[in-house]
Amino acid sequence: MINFPYEGILSALFVLVLVTAAFILTRRNILSLFTNYAMQSLFIAIIALILFLKENSVTLLVLSILTFATRVLIIPYVIKKIQKLMRIRRDVSFHYLTPISSLIVSIVLIISIYYSFYKFAANLSLAGVSYLGSTLGISLTFIGMLVIFSRKKAITKIVGYLVMENGVLLFSLFFSELPLIVEILIILDLIMLILIAAILAFGIDSTLEEFHQKINPLQKWVKEKF
Amino acid sequence: MSLDTVSLNLFIAGMVFLLSAAVLPLLFLRNGKRMLRYSSLISAFISCLLVVCASLPVVVYNLKIRFVIYTITYFFSITCMIDRLSAFFIILIAVVSLSVIIYSFSYIEHMIENIKKNMIVCLICFFIVSMIMVVISLNMFAFLFFWEIMSITSFFLVMSEYEKAETKKAGLFYFIMTQLSTLFLIFGFMAIANISGSYNFENLDGVSSIAVNFIFVSLFIGFGIKAGIVPFHKWLPYAHPASPSNVSALMSGVMIKVAVYGIVRYVVDIAQPPLWGGIFILIMGTISALLGVIYALKEHDIKRLLAYHSIENIGIILLGVGLFVIFTNYNLTALATLSILGALFHTINHAIFKSLLFMAAGSVVQATGTRNIEEMGGLVKRMPFTSSLFLVGAVSISALPPFNGFVSELMIFLGFFQSGALLSPILEILMFTCLSLFALTSSLAAACFVKAFGITFLAMPRSDHSKNAVEVKMPMLIGPAIPAVLCVVLGVFSSRIFTFLGFDLPIPDLLVISSIAIISAIAVIIIVKISGRTKYPVRIDETWGCGILSQNPKMEYTASGFSEPIMDIFKPVYRTHTHIEKEYSDKHNTLFQKGFAEIRLFEIFEEYLYMPIARFVMKISADLAKIQNVIEPDSYILYTFVTFLLLLIIGGWFI
Amino acid sequence: MNDSTFVFYIIFNLFFAVIISPFFMSLIKKVKAYCQGRKGPQLFQTYYNLMKLMKKEVVYSSTSSNIMRITPYINIVVILLSSICVPLVFIPQSSGSGFGNIILFLYLLALAKFFMALSGLDAGSTFGSMGSSREMTISAVFEPVIIIVFAALAFVMNTADIYRMFTNSVNSSMPFLNPIKFLNSISLFIILIVETSRCPVDNPETHLELTMIHEAMLLENTGKNLALMELSHAIKQTLLMALLINLIIPYGLITTLTFTGVILGAFSFFVKASIVSVIVGVLESSIAKSRLFRLPILFMMVFFFSFLTILFEVFLK
Repeated sequence: MINFPYEGILSALFVLVLVTAAFILTRRNILSLFTNYAMQSLFIAIIALILFLKENSVTLLVLSILTFATRVLIIPYVIKKIQKLMRIRRDVSFHYLTPISSLIVSIVLIISIYYSFYKFAANLSLAGVSYLGSTLGISLTFIGMLVIFSRKKAITKIVGYLVMENGVLLFSLFFSELPLIVEILIILDLIMLILIAAILAFGIDSTLEEFHQKINPLQKWVKEKF
Repeated sequence: MSLDTVSLNLFIAGMVFLLSAAVLPLLFLRNGKRMLRYSSLISAFISCLLVVCASLPVVVYNLKIRFVIYTITYFFSITCMIDRLSAFFIILIAVVSLSVIIYSFSYIEHMIENIKKNMIVCLICFFIVSMIMVVISLNMFAFLFFWEIMSITSFFLVMSEYEKAETKKAGLFYFIMTQLSTLFLIFGFMAIANISGSYNFENLDGVSSIAVNFIFVSLFIGFGIKAGIVPFHKWLPYAHPASPSNVSALMSGVMIKVAVYGIVRYVVDIAQPPLWGGIFILIMGTISALLGVIYALKEHDIKRLLAYHSIENIGIILLGVGLFVIFTNYNLTALATLSILGALFHTINHAIFKSLLFMAAGSVVQATGTRNIEEMGGLVKRMPFTSSLFLVGAVSISALPPFNGFVSELMIFLGFFQSGALLSPILEILMFTCLSLFALTSSLAAACFVKAFGITFLAMPRSDHSKNAVEVKMPMLIGPAIPAVLCVVLGVFSSRIFTFLGFDLPIPDLLVISSIAIISAIAVIIIVKISGRTKYPVRIDETWGCGILSQNPKMEYTASGFSEPIMDIFKPVYRTHTHIEKEYSDKHNTLFQKGFAEIRLFEIFEEYLYMPIARFVMKISADLAKIQNVIEPDSYILYTFVTFLLLLIIGGWFI
Repeated sequence: MNDSTFVFYIIFNLFFAVIISPFFMSLIKKVKAYCQGRKGPQLFQTYYNLMKLMKKEVVYSSTSSNIMRITPYINIVVILLSSICVPLVFIPQSSGSGFGNIILFLYLLALAKFFMALSGLDAGSTFGSMGSSREMTISAVFEPVIIIVFAALAFVMNTADIYRMFTNSVNSSMPFLNPIKFLNSISLFIILIVETSRCPVDNPETHLELTMIHEAMLLENTGKNLALMELSHAIKQTLLMALLINLIIPYGLITTLTFTGVILGAFSFFVKASIVSVIVGVLESSIAKSRLFRLPILFMMVFFFSFLTILFEVFLK
């Protein structure tokens, strides 16, 4: 285990994480969204595990197990149960960006973020892999934002938000000390779950326009009454 | 007699023959006898041979021959130097001119007026003379003098068929662009002369950077307009189809290369550009290559298609030059040599196979009477030799082994591949992007030529034009045959030639590979003949059409149908506007009366670059014309008075 | 000494590639049949098919020209040449002829494709032209991906020569544990699927005009010509499988010529390639052929994947 190729395995895992993000960005099948999100969280959990093996800090082990439990098992299970109530299976509409151009934009994004943060890297003495990991976390957050604005169905936007969160987790794994950040992330997760439940009540199988149509009578009633 | 003087004498003899070939038709302008033109062309042919023999020793033994023709003053003299680079370009020009001259023997005869035929012969000879003199000029004045002669003769050649409106527009556009290029060249040369003090091409290494950057950009734009680099490329697709085919072969095969000579001479001898200059050349090369081939895919005019491919190949040559500049900035001399040799080899390869393609296309156009490939087809049975020649050209330009196009593209690929671990990371990312775009260009070119060759020559004739086509006469077959043979020879013997010239490059030895190929082909044929002995002879029958009894040409694929998937994938680049107008007879829009539909390509450069500049210039000249429109001579004298006074004051103030 | 081993290598590699390639085609068909719940043809069926085709009558269309007659021979000769570029069992010392150049290999395959596309257009039938058009489109759009994968391989192993890449793999311990090589092997596997026209790019089983790309170009060939084209397709598949296998699991590859080494190497290559064929068969049965205009998105994804691999290699240098 002395010569364990940490850098190689970590960069291979980075590639896999970004590829799952790319799948979420371009695939039109809704079931694949959840599978890809679960795989992405699994890869991040494995990254945390490898970092634990490298640095021997128990927080990382706890984080890895927590990530695996919540993001790989619980959240996809909950969303899949919700998906069974939905009528739609595909999300074909793309807004502002076609699949090919969104992939090109992601590559340009990754390269530019890597080079924009060079100055900070010198100040904080981040080594090669750690710097790469933090910038990839930021890029993953941006890719999550891409997913949110370029797809139309609400369920995809939710998965995009989850991807953004994954990006923040990845960034925190590589950046610096962890304990506080871990707690904040878990709180974010809980807020997310509440949000999902709230939107569920009004019909998650629609785009935002239909959502507004459904809310409209309620708004009118509220205005009439008060 | 030393080798120097022998070469020099052969060269001068060649020039004399060429000049006499040029002057002879001028003396007997209205004479219709063919012997006049034939003797002129034979004289030009002999001179090209002499010039090639003169330049070969210079290339092989790396000589430098310097001589003066005429001295006007101390600064302006027609000084010439033949060194390895110039001799290489002279061989390029002479070999292509040889084949075009043979081709012209019977091509010119299809023009109607005698004056036109004689003038074309005369102008072609002057054109060749001017190009050779440009390539060997040492003095800036000589360079510009011969550059202008080259531009003017080519302008007249483009306007050969001046009765058609298309030719007039093409010629005018070409003339404006070529004068623009001369303008930028003059800027650059004046700046060089200012810095170095003499009007010869001197080395400028180690001089202040701002001026050298300005010189680089200005010369690059000047040569780029002539070479057809995006965004200055617009004149190429107009000028090449409008001119006669032998002129297109000369222009696309040789004149564009003279512009490349200018860039290479600057980069190698005068001043090495900084790193950003190399990156700039690399990016311009990639854009030209990619856009050239993407626009070529939609073309159905065979000569415009070939013109766009010239733009693509110039992009590839610039890729090699850009790599050279980047590598010399990092002191990687082996890789730099590989790249510049790749660029230069691609230059001569492109000259050879492009002239071959234009000449074969010219034969096809003359035999069928149309330039539209959607009206051709089935020519492989009616014009077998021309189709084999075009096939050799198509395989060469698609960079397939063992022809020459493959070797030069391989050298540039190897330059990209081996640059891996040696440069800064962001530069490597740029190189990988340019590498993938270059690979895309190369494969799209192959797709385009499958379409061009397949639709033009194969299957059944799509119209009466091609049904009645006959094979062209012998000179029009021998002319292109010379470049075809050279394509094969240069490809197969490429590594031997490079080792002979003293360069040790990691390229595969295609001679060995081709010999193994021939041996295995013979073995395969023998095995197949033995094991495939059947009692049934070969049968000729109808094409399988799913049960339809007689195939007619309307069932074949059209050129637009062939390239439709690719055009669909690259839709964002083309941005076609469909404009449909329909008129109905009733108010519920059910009975269709008549209509108008138009699919227009978004000509991004014309609409956003050329037209605004043109409108701006027209506006300014309209305003200036108002000042000048007064008829009295007094106002002219007033203007002259004011101008001279200002010049005197400024001169006295500042000098 | 060097030259005679090289000559032996050429003859051995050619014969080995020609003899075992049809077996892998039938193996994939058998695996697909099992996945569909039927027994499928026997394992040596492709050999019998080829021998039967050699004895059949050759029919040429009246509108076709010499291109149709010479394309099968050009195809088989070019594919045989490219089989010299990829060592299957024994890696010779590079004899200076530059055979192992990876770009030469790629462009030899492109030459075969060019002539196949031309022969598709030759007979003037709509099927062949459609196959040519689609084949040239797909290979044009996929070429940047292939070049990036090869550039990544050349970057990691510091050489553009296939012989040296394989020697590198043989000499390094546990190459499949190197993560970058593992990712590259996934890209190489995808290249195998695209270049041999298998699902999801093209369906090699159907003969309906709307669903075929590669088979459409071969439609007009009969008898000996069809046998040669099928054989060259099978050899191309073996070569691409060898590129994948010998880079990742090079056990059995030998660099010095011994009799037992050759036998063991041939046997191990046979086993490894059979495993890859089974994987290809199972994958083909589990994925449907995707629409033609969805393919560029798929290719862009593969490009994204390969570009990221090389990007991180560059960043972490």
